[in-house]
Amino acid sequence: MSHGHSDPIHHPEVQMATNRNYITGFVVSSLLMLAATILVDGHILPSFGLLLAIIGCAGIAIIAQVYFLLHIDISEHNIWNTVALVMFIPLFIITIGLTWWMFSQLYMRTMPMIPGMPGMH
Amino acid sequence: MLVNVPGPWSPLLGRLALSEIPYTNPILAPLFIVIVLAGIVLIAGVTYYGKWGYLWKEWFTTVDHKKLGIMYIILGLIMLFRGFIDGLMMRTQQALGDGPGDNGMKVMGAIHGYLAPFHFGQIYSAHGLIMILLAATPLLVGLMNIIVPLQIGARDMAYPYLNALGLWITTAAVFLIMISLFVGDFSHNGWFGYAPIFELAYSPGVGVDYWIWTLELVALGTTLGSINFLATVVKMRAPGMTWGRLPVFTWTAVSANIIALTSFPCLQVALALVGADRYLGTHFFTAGFGGNLMLYTNLFWLWGHPEVYFVILPAFGMLSEVIPAFSEKPIFGYITMVLASFAIAGVSWIVWLHHFFTMGMGPYVSTEFSIATMLVGIPTGVKVFNWAFTLYRGRLTFSAAMLWSIGALFLLLIGGLTGMMLAIPAINYMVHNSVFVVAHFHMMLLCIVYAVFSAIIFWFPKIYGFKLNEAWGKIMFWLFSAGTFLVFFPMFMLGFMGETRRLDWPFNPQWGPWFDVQEIGIFVYILSVLAFLWMLYVSIRDRHANRVHTADAWGTSRSLEWLTDTPVPFYNFAMVPHINALDEVAWRREHGFMDKKPDHFKAIHMPNNTPIALYIGALTFLVGFGLTWRVWWLTLASLILAVILMIYRSNKGDPGYIIPAEKMEEMDRESKARMLSDDSHQVPHGGGFSGGTVTAYTALDRDASGSLTPPNDSRHL
Repeated sequence: MSHGHSDPIHHPEVQMATNRNYITGFVVSSLLMLAATILVDGHILPSFGLLLAIIGCAGIAIIAQVYFLLHIDISEHNIWNTVALVMFIPLFIITIGLTWWMFSQLYMRTMPMIPGMPGMH
Repeated sequence: MLVNVPGPWSPLLGRLALSEIPYTNPILAPLFIVIVLAGIVLIAGVTYYGKWGYLWKEWFTTVDHKKLGIMYIILGLIMLFRGFIDGLMMRTQQALGDGPGDNGMKVMGAIHGYLAPFHFGQIYSAHGLIMILLAATPLLVGLMNIIVPLQIGARDMAYPYLNALGLWITTAAVFLIMISLFVGDFSHNGWFGYAPIFELAYSPGVGVDYWIWTLELVALGTTLGSINFLATVVKMRAPGMTWGRLPVFTWTAVSANIIALTSFPCLQVALALVGADRYLGTHFFTAGFGGNLMLYTNLFWLWGHPEVYFVILPAFGMLSEVIPAFSEKPIFGYITMVLASFAIAGVSWIVWLHHFFTMGMGPYVSTEFSIATMLVGIPTGVKVFNWAFTLYRGRLTFSAAMLWSIGALFLLLIGGLTGMMLAIPAINYMVHNSVFVVAHFHMMLLCIVYAVFSAIIFWFPKIYGFKLNEAWGKIMFWLFSAGTFLVFFPMFMLGFMGETRRLDWPFNPQWGPWFDVQEIGIFVYILSVLAFLWMLYVSIRDRHANRVHTADAWGTSRSLEWLTDTPVPFYNFAMVPHINALDEVAWRREHGFMDKKPDHFKAIHMPNNTPIALYIGALTFLVGFGLTWRVWWLTLASLILAVILMIYRSNKGDPGYIIPAEKMEEMDRESKARMLSDDSHQVPHGGGFSGGTVTAYTALDRDASGSLTPPNDSRHL
């Protein structure tokens, strides 16, 4: 470990953080949130389209936040960030995926059809 | 934008009014007086003995992981007692209120028993929340706080200040739930909350708001703590402490904190959405307007199930330390033990749906989650067999700590097998929402409590330098076990007899005898609480006779925390030792290196005390209180002040202070002088070590002596 421990500013984690990254992350996620709000508020799309649009916005916002704010990527000099990413992806798939699956099964049995949604009986 | 609340509201006091203080309640009003008197006595006592300076300097502003851990444990024990009193009140209500007819105490406004349904609802909600998040979690976090840095040979946690912040935010949560006793009401819809009952339309009081912000605060504190634990174990291990030599307790702490770090945000988001519903008028979990009340249950248990493994895994780790020490054998199957911990942690993420099998999502989903839930039995079974094989042909000592650990194994067996039953959706449809489920998870949580008492008795001498009274530890164990048996075996029976949980009026007279047995069990529990207090009193009274003069208090301990002086000095290790083996202390003892002393010392770097963590904790309490009562100016002011303090502290930083090598040598000599030399210890040394050279302390001197650069001798090589 050659980088000086005396000055935390020289840690690679700190060096990677730039103001521009944080501001970009903040602006991108704010814009996406605003877009989703406008879409929902004005009922611009049919119900199911709205659902997909919000999910899309949320997905991009997650990627932007993970990359710009948390600096999680697959660069070699920051192995623990890569480890965090490797953990994050399966957890993301499990939690969102299983929730999606559960709700699709639940809705099929308990809820009226959402307008515009394919494959419901 | 803000929702209009029913009832009066003023900008200055929000919803607060004198009528919110239940001074007419015949239980709360006397309790309030007793607590105020006890508080006055406490404050007067501290003032009389002039201890404020000591408390402030040594405890309130400390960043020492051992002291923070002790405070976590005290907090946890107090809340364990509060939760127990809630349990006692529930048992008494059901024992008194059982059967048809008008058997209520009119003076309390009750039709059945002595508690009105609204009051009873608050008690069971508070009981669940307190026991899981404010008793079990602080007890486990406290023990991890004390032991993990010692086990890996670190001087402190990676972020000592963050550690203090976690403690004080958790304390703020405790104050928030305690103040709900005397100012306003607490939530009455269960510890996990039911949608949509917690919506403003159905719960217009402040109870649900207390519940939201208590949970949010404790979630915040625990998340901060889990970041700290992971960074500590990854970055702060002693030289030679490879991953393969990490003690099992530290491994379980790692797996548990990975769960905590990844799952607590789910809870925070779910509750923030409940908050948005109640404060901003959104419709996330309402029954109409596009809200989805199933989503709340889903999000809550998405956190809730990983959380139950977050609390059980460190308990497993404690058993894995206590059982080998009192079997005089290394843990059987170290690698499978570690893998099992991570298997449990991994599977914890795909089982949450078994909390609502009956929601109606159909056979395919239920099957997946049923099988995933049963899978947990495999790594847990591996662990149980490993403990059994550790015991097998061991030289067993049935000390108090060992009894608690073995008791935990029995509870784990019962809880695990009933858990297997509940994993089957068909059975779940039968016993869903019955007290059978309640009895099942009490078996699991009591398994944790047993492990915690075992760990407290086991590690107490390391921290305080004297042992707890063995005889009273055992008496408490037997009383506690009798109480457990008498309360929870009838509960399994009642579950089969169809009693649903949370009944303020158990209408069926046939349940009566079982309630009476449970009531007797609760009184046995009271005896065990008294035995615990008496054990503490006797142990402190006879502390000179029970003083431990050696590093290894039990003579058969195995991991690194037993290498340093007893009681542990504030710097943990005068020289950070070099780790040569798994179970370093056992290895050194067997090879005759326990008396190996460092031949030179290095300057060490220690963090400074800071009151800012305490201030921020107090401010988060005010934020929670302000939000609960909708006192916006208080909320905003405290929040802004907390952020300002955080920025101030970040800019100032903490350079820490350096203890020079000469001073270290002197302090080490003083500390060692209080202990007997390990040469004279009665434990026989092994036959010596043949072949190879041994490094007891790394000779590499990387830091220039006299320079003010913090030495990094605690880093992993």
